[in-house]
Amino acid sequence: MLNGSPLRTAPGVADDTATLLLRCGNGDRAAFRTLYDRWSGRLHGIALRITRQAPLAADATHDAFVQVWQQAHRFDPARGNAEAFLVSLVRYRALDIVRRRGREISGYEPEERADETPDALAQLVGSAEGEALHRCLGLLDTERRRLVVMAFVEGLSHSELADKLSVPLGTVKSWIRRSLLSLRECLAT
Amino acid sequence: MSDASDRDLLAAEYVLGTLEGEEAAEAAHLLETDAAFAAAVRDWEGRLTPLAAGLPPVAPSPQLWDRIEATTASASPAPVQVVPFALRRRLLIWQASTGAALALAASLAAIVVLRSPPPARVAVLAPITGGVPMLLATAEPNGVLRIRPDGTIVVPTDHDLELWALGAGDTRPRSLGVLPASGARMVAVLSPGTQLLVSLEPRGGSPTGQPTGPVLYGGRLTDLE
Repeated sequence: MLNGSPLRTAPGVADDTATLLLRCGNGDRAAFRTLYDRWSGRLHGIALRITRQAPLAADATHDAFVQVWQQAHRFDPARGNAEAFLVSLVRYRALDIVRRRGREISGYEPEERADETPDALAQLVGSAEGEALHRCLGLLDTERRRLVVMAFVEGLSHSELADKLSVPLGTVKSWIRRSLLSLRECLAT
Repeated sequence: MSDASDRDLLAAEYVLGTLEGEEAAEAAHLLETDAAFAAAVRDWEGRLTPLAAGLPPVAPSPQLWDRIEATTASASPAPVQVVPFALRRRLLIWQASTGAALALAASLAAIVVLRSPPPARVAVLAPITGGVPMLLATAEPNGVLRIRPDGTIVVPTDHDLELWALGAGDTRPRSLGVLPASGARMVAVLSPGTQLLVSLEPRGGSPTGQPTGPVLYGGRLTDLE
């Protein structure tokens, strides 16, 4: 079960994170501060990669932590892992913010970022879930693997990906769907 | 391909973040209304989150914590109490009635009093243009505000409902946050007589800090005896 156990990107931390979230749900300010100290850098880094602007990333991180405080009671350790809960909160906020404002794709040209995809893949090794995902991503063509990683990490929409890769929108959608189907099948085994 | 498989793919694309327009709206709607879809989203969040593990942490500015603290410290949330689903069903029943909001508030009192601890104040929010109440807000003594919209409120694509508090004598409302479709628990200290307003805003809430869209629903907080 992929979701049954916490991620182990930092050993021991995920368990603590779940406990901290539960404590936040009970109004424990000290737990909230600890959670912030432990997670703000990572969540802000994720938001920054998606929004590409420091003030927007700060907004997304702010909103995510406010949601953590207000919605920690929604976190159910039996049904999802704490890291995914936190990462998802900040990603959705960052995506909302950039989609609402309309993002200047031309404002950044991630030439150097082409190298970061393998980097993101290399980082997967080290947790059981990460290794499984790494193995399954390895079954995809290089180009499609890059598409999935780029979509998740950079927060690009179907049409932004199509623009960026100069590929028709329908093609991008179909590549992504097939990649996700393949991942689902592979991760289930 | 089966519907279930299509739904699961939609959940995957939602988590990946690539959806736009109608598909994004459909996913957001399903997330709030369909427990199986919400579970599929959670599963995909678990599957794909390791992709974020490689991103380098970037410390936010030291002021960010102060900002978060200011936003969240207006009151301390109390231990969570589950709002009985029965309350929501009651709301549906009340909606069918055309009785005055005050009468509704009175009948509400009879029900909420059974809960422990009872909410100190309630507001029944009805359309500004008239009609039956659509939202029920309860403000507990410890500062927790719960608002339960009825399931039939339809929010247009790319919009959100935002909740505002307008204190007696105030000229500008302050935002209490964006309402998720399934109901929300917020933290706010509100005096009796405060008006609660719900406006239609761009997705994510008003960009200006003041209502920018039409105010759709309103109601006044009343003390329960």
